[in-house]
Amino acid sequence: MEGNIEGLSSALALIGYGLGAIGPGIGIGIVAGNAITAMARQPEMQGTIRTTMFLGIAFTEALALIGFVLFFIA
Amino acid sequence: MTGMILASECDVANEVICAPAQVNDLFEFDTWFTVGGLNFTKTTFLILLAAVIVVVLVYLGLKDRRLVPSKFNVIIEGLVGFVRDGIARDVIGPEGSKYLPYLLSIFLFILVGNLFEVTPLISFPITSRMAIPAFLSLVTYFIFTIVGFGRNKFRYLIDTVWPKTVPVGMRPLVGLIELVSVFVLRPLTLAVRLFANMMAGHLMLTLLLGSAVIFLAAIPEIGARGLIGVPWLAFGLFIFMFEIVVSILQAYIFTLLSAVYIESSIHFEH
Repeated sequence: MEGNIEGLSSALALIGYGLGAIGPGIGIGIVAGNAITAMARQPEMQGTIRTTMFLGIAFTEALALIGFVLFFIA
Repeated sequence: MTGMILASECDVANEVICAPAQVNDLFEFDTWFTVGGLNFTKTTFLILLAAVIVVVLVYLGLKDRRLVPSKFNVIIEGLVGFVRDGIARDVIGPEGSKYLPYLLSIFLFILVGNLFEVTPLISFPITSRMAIPAFLSLVTYFIFTIVGFGRNKFRYLIDTVWPKTVPVGMRPLVGLIELVSVFVLRPLTLAVRLFANMMAGHLMLTLLLGSAVIFLAAIPEIGARGLIGVPWLAFGLFIFMFEIVVSILQAYIFTLLSAVYIESSIHFEH
């Protein structure tokens, strides 16, 4: 019985992390896509756009990383 | 070493991929010797090795400044220039040069530590042990909080909790989110981002390439079934290329975010 509950908890953690990764996945897609559009329009701004893109990705990624930590805690 | 762990537990006749019973087996190593209660392992050795490599590279690269630099000098100067112009001055501004030594140190240390993952005979990224990203992110945390309090005194804390630019009704909510985000989530995500990327990479590489080696080596025993190893090898080599990019990118992102956090403490108004 104990083993079943532990197995259930880790399975739920896996599903939870999968759900938590959806939002950041979409968000990072939007960030990177818009950065590519901006770079195509103004190639001379490439450096600034790339830095800002990485920043945006880093902030968006935070939710997925919290989900990852919760997966270990659970 | 990890290959041997896999081989002893892998049932090549029935499994399709070899996974160790305990994931920790891939990240924990035997103690070589103990000094004053501290266990000296492969990880400890690699940390010291990474530090020595960084110091030696920078020292040799910048020792003699000739009119016509050698190829090696150009590479090291390029790295230093990249961190100075691309990260420190670009993000922090003119006074970014003050933080260049710290940013350059963590960039090179994390870069070397990450690239250990794809170095033959070592193939273990030291940043996949949580202690190292956690320590580095705590150093960044102390720097940006101390700079924030030093520059803005207690306005740093008060304006974070009670932001003046937000309508009054929203201030408690935004303040709470800002408080948690700045003082808890920033160091946490900074450390976990590096740790998670490197751990996942090491896990994928070890499982894929380890399985490939074990299955291909077992062809005499299990016959054509051992050809399962071929797709694992192909996929593993693809991931190997990918991990080189990830190693460099994660070192860059860690340094960039450290610079951004320091900048947000210096120019606190916005």
